[in-house]
Amino acid sequence: MSRTDAVTRILFEAFGAAEVRIFYLIGYAAIAVFFYGVYVQVRKYRRGAALVLDGGLWPRFGAMLSSLLSHRTIERRDRAAGAAHRLIFYGFMLLFAGTATITLQYDILEPLFGIRFWHGEFYLVFSLILDVAGVALIAGLLYMMYRRGWLELPKLDYARPDREPGDPDFNRPQYRREDWAFLWLLLIIACTGYVLEAARLVWLQDRAGVWDTRWWSPVGALLAQGMRALGLDAGSAGLLRHGLWWFHGLIALLLIALIPYTKVKHVFTSAASLMVRDPLAAQRLARIPESQPQPGAAKITDFNWKQLLNLDACTKCGRCHEACPARAVGAPLSPRDVILSLREFAQATLESGAIPAAAELDVHGKAPGQVAMETLWSCRTCMACVEICPVAVEHVPIIVQMRRKLVEDGAMDPLLTKTLQTIHKTGNSFGESKRKRGAWSKALPFPVKDARKQPVDVLWFVGDYASFDPRNQKVSQLFASLLHEAGVDFGILFDGESNAGNDVRRVGEEGLYEVLAQANVNALAGASFKSVVTTDPHSYNTIRNEYPDFGGKYEIEHYTTLAKRLFAEGRLQVTKPLKYRVTFHDPCHLGRFNKGYDSPRELLALLGCELIEMGRCRANSFCCGAGGGRIWVPDPVGAEKPAQNRMREAAAIPGLEVYVVSCPKDLTMFEDALKTTGNEGKFVVKELIELIREAVPARRGDAVPA
Amino acid sequence: MKILVAVKQVAALDEDFALRDDGRNVDPDFLIRDLNEWDDFSLEEAVKMKEAASQPVEVVAVSVGSGEVDESLRKCLAKGADRAVRIWDPAIEDSDSIAIARVLAAAARREAPDMMFAGVQSSDQSFASTGIAAAAFLGWPHAAVVSHLSYSPGATRAVLRRELEGGLLHEVEIQCPAVLTIQLGINTPRYASLRSIKQAAAKPIEVLSLADIGLGADEVGVAGSLSRVRRMYVPDRGRAQLIEGDAAQQAARLAEIIREFKGAAS
Repeated sequence: MSRTDAVTRILFEAFGAAEVRIFYLIGYAAIAVFFYGVYVQVRKYRRGAALVLDGGLWPRFGAMLSSLLSHRTIERRDRAAGAAHRLIFYGFMLLFAGTATITLQYDILEPLFGIRFWHGEFYLVFSLILDVAGVALIAGLLYMMYRRGWLELPKLDYARPDREPGDPDFNRPQYRREDWAFLWLLLIIACTGYVLEAARLVWLQDRAGVWDTRWWSPVGALLAQGMRALGLDAGSAGLLRHGLWWFHGLIALLLIALIPYTKVKHVFTSAASLMVRDPLAAQRLARIPESQPQPGAAKITDFNWKQLLNLDACTKCGRCHEACPARAVGAPLSPRDVILSLREFAQATLESGAIPAAAELDVHGKAPGQVAMETLWSCRTCMACVEICPVAVEHVPIIVQMRRKLVEDGAMDPLLTKTLQTIHKTGNSFGESKRKRGAWSKALPFPVKDARKQPVDVLWFVGDYASFDPRNQKVSQLFASLLHEAGVDFGILFDGESNAGNDVRRVGEEGLYEVLAQANVNALAGASFKSVVTTDPHSYNTIRNEYPDFGGKYEIEHYTTLAKRLFAEGRLQVTKPLKYRVTFHDPCHLGRFNKGYDSPRELLALLGCELIEMGRCRANSFCCGAGGGRIWVPDPVGAEKPAQNRMREAAAIPGLEVYVVSCPKDLTMFEDALKTTGNEGKFVVKELIELIREAVPARRGDAVPA
Repeated sequence: MKILVAVKQVAALDEDFALRDDGRNVDPDFLIRDLNEWDDFSLEEAVKMKEAASQPVEVVAVSVGSGEVDESLRKCLAKGADRAVRIWDPAIEDSDSIAIARVLAAAARREAPDMMFAGVQSSDQSFASTGIAAAAFLGWPHAAVVSHLSYSPGATRAVLRRELEGGLLHEVEIQCPAVLTIQLGINTPRYASLRSIKQAAAKPIEVLSLADIGLGADEVGVAGSLSRVRRMYVPDRGRAQLIEGDAAQQAARLAEIIREFKGAAS
C-alpha cells in the first residue's frame, strides 16, 4: 500500500462481512422508505388541478439556484436567521456531498470501473472542508435553537388568530415538537460525526497514514487529543468508534428516510416552489378556464399541483404572519395559517391510496384544516405575504380562488353584495350615473378632451375614486391643471370608462371583472392615444398586468413617473420649494405590486421636502386596509383598522408635517384614520399631486377654483 | 309542484332626466333598468322552498314586457328559477296594473302552479295592486305584505305572517293555490354572480303572445285598463331657506318674509 493510498477515509474497517451486509440492508430500506414517501407526495400534487407553466425549465432552475445559493430571500427582514440558515445549508450540503462522493467511489466507480480518487491530498483537503462544514452546521443549529428557545419571536408563535384557544388546531404543539426534533437530530448527527472521527483517530493512532494527517480534521483531532488526555486507549476507542459508527449511521439513514414525511421535506419542496415561482402571482390573477364547471376552489383538488406544492414548501418562518396587515390588527387571518391549514387538509385527504369522496374534500368551513369565510374575507390582497415569502408561496391567488367560490355562493358581507350589484348596474362603485364620471372636469378653466372623439397623446384613465369621490375630485382637478400647464396633450374617456375591476377581481367576482375589463378594453380601442396614465395604482395594476389577457396591451404609467419626466424636461418647474418634513406611504399596488418605489421619493426630493421613512416602507409598506374590495366592507367596530395602525406609526415621527400618499383610496382611508386616531391638527394627509401643485404655483387664470 | 313568481323589470331615474314628448312618462333614454327589489325577495323565497323541498319543485319566473325584460329574467334564472316566461304583444303597451294582472292571471292559468308569488309593489310605479288583482282574476285567495311564510310545496294550506300598521303582525292560514305578495326582508336574496348570469343566458326564455294565453287585444293596453296616466311632472320645489345672521337680523328677515307673504295673499 503506497503512502497516498493509505491516507484515506476508514470505512468498514474491523466490520464483519455480515455486519456490512446488515448495514447495506438497512441503508436500502431507508432509501426505499424515502422513495415511497416521495411517491406519495408526488401523487398528492398530481391529484391537484392541471397547470401548464410558461417559461423554460432551465431559466426557472437558474433562478431557483440563484435564490438558494445566495440565500437572498431567506435573509430578508431576518438577517440573523438568514445567516444561520446559510451556515446550516452550506454545512449540510458539503457534508452530504462528502458522503455522496464516498458512496460514488466505494459503491459505484471502484467496484465497476476500478476508479479510486478518495485518497491522498484530495482526501485530506476534503476532510478539512468537511470538518469546517460541520462547525458551520453546528453553529447554525445552535443559533436556531437559541432563536426558538429564547428569543420568543412572535412570528414563531404558532397560535392562530383564526382559532380560539382550546380548538384542536389552535397552536399546534406538534409543530413545535417537530421543529425541535429536527434541530436535535441534525445536531446529534453532526456531533456524533466529530466524536466518531476522534474515536477513529485514537483507535488508529499507531497508523501513520491516519494519525500524522490528523490535523486535516482539526475538530476531530482536537477531540482526539482530549480523549487521549482523558486516558482513552486505542482498544476502547475502537469499541467506541464501532458503536458510534452504527449510531451515527443509523440516525443519518433515519433522517433520509424521514425526509418526505416531515418538515425535512422542505429541502425539496421549497426549492421546487422557488423554481415554479410566478413573479406576477398577485399582480396578474389567473382567469377561470372555460372548461371549469365551478369557479374558484371548493375542494382541495381544485387547487393546481403548483399550489399544493406551495403548501408543502412553507417552512413556518412566519414572515408573512408578521407582514400581514389583517393579522396586525387582530383580524382572524394569518396567511401562514391559511397555508398550513390547507397543507394539513391536503395531507389528511390526498396522501392515502384513494381520494376520499368529494364531500370530504371541501376546504371551506371551520373544522380543522378548513378555512373559514371570515378568514378569507379579512384579506386585503396587499401582497405583503407573497412578497416576503422566502420560498415563493403564493398566498393571494389561493385566497382569491377560495373567495371566487364564496362569491358564487353569495357568502359575503351584504354591503359587498350591494356594491358588486351597483358596479354591475352603473359601472362604478359609487352608484353614480355613468354620465357623471367626467363631471369633475367641468370645474376646470379649460376643457378636457374627450379621448373618444379626438386623438390625444396621453389617455388618462381616471378610475372610480378619482372620478366620483369629492375629496379625490379636487386632486384630479389639480393633476389636470398640471398636465395642462405642462402642455401635455391629454384626454379622458368620460362615461366610456368603467371601474377598472382590479378590486372586483380580487374580491373574487371574476365574471364581473371580465365584463369590466372587456368594457374598458373596448372603450380604449375606440380612442386614439399613445400612452395611458393614471393616478390610481389599482387601475394601474390591472391595466398594466391583467388587461393584456383581455387583448388590451398599452404603454401605461403611474402619474409619478410622468410627473418626474415633466420636471426633467423642464415642462414643470419648482418655483416655490416646500420645506415640509414628510413621510411617504407606498401604495401596495404601486410599490409592492409594480415596484414603483423610487419616482414618488425622487419627486419629494425635487419639491424640497425632507423625507423621513417609516419603519415599514417600500416592499414592507403597510396596507391602508382598502385592498381586495375591503374598502367596500366595514371593518369590525371597536377593533383597530389597518389605516389607524399606520397613522400611529407615522405619528411617531417627530415633527412630521405631511403624510404623503399617491393613491386615491389611500387619501380616503388615511384622512379618516387621521381623525379617528386623534392626530388631526398634528400633521396632514396629502396627495403627492397636491404637494406638486403647491410647489409649482398655477399661472394666473389657470388656477382650479377651490 | 310548481311555484310561479311574477317579476317586473323596473326603471330607476338617472341623474338628469327628461320627460317623454307626450309628457306622460320619462324618456326611456334616462332610465336604468333592473329587477324590482321586492321580486328579488319573492324569487328567493320560491328558490329557498325548492331547495328545502323533498320532492321536485319547479320555479317559474314570469314577466310582462318586451325583449329588454329578458335581462331581468336571466337574473332570475341565474338565481335558481328553472324556467322563465315572458309575455309580450305591442297591444300590452300602456296597460295599467289591472291589465297587467289580467295577463299574469292568464299566464298562471296556463302554468297551473301550486302557489304564486309577487312583490308587494314595484319600486317605479308603486301601485301595489298587480299581485292582488291577479288573485282576483284567478279567483284565488291572496295575502298581501307577507313577511314570513311556512309552506311546503304541494300542501293544501300555507301559514303566513303579514305586516300590519303599528308593528302588529297578522298570522294567516290560507288555502292554496293562493297569490302572496312578498315583503322586503322576508329572506336574504342571494347574489347572482356574473358567471351564473352568463350561464343563464344559455337557458331559453319562453316568449308567449296574447293568443298563447288566450287573451284578446281589447283586454290589455288602454282598452283593458281601469286607469290612465294623464301627465307626469316634477312639482315646483319648496322654497325652504336657512336665515343667517344674529338673532336681530334673523328676526328682521323673518318679518320681511311674512310681510311678503301677506302682501302676496292680499
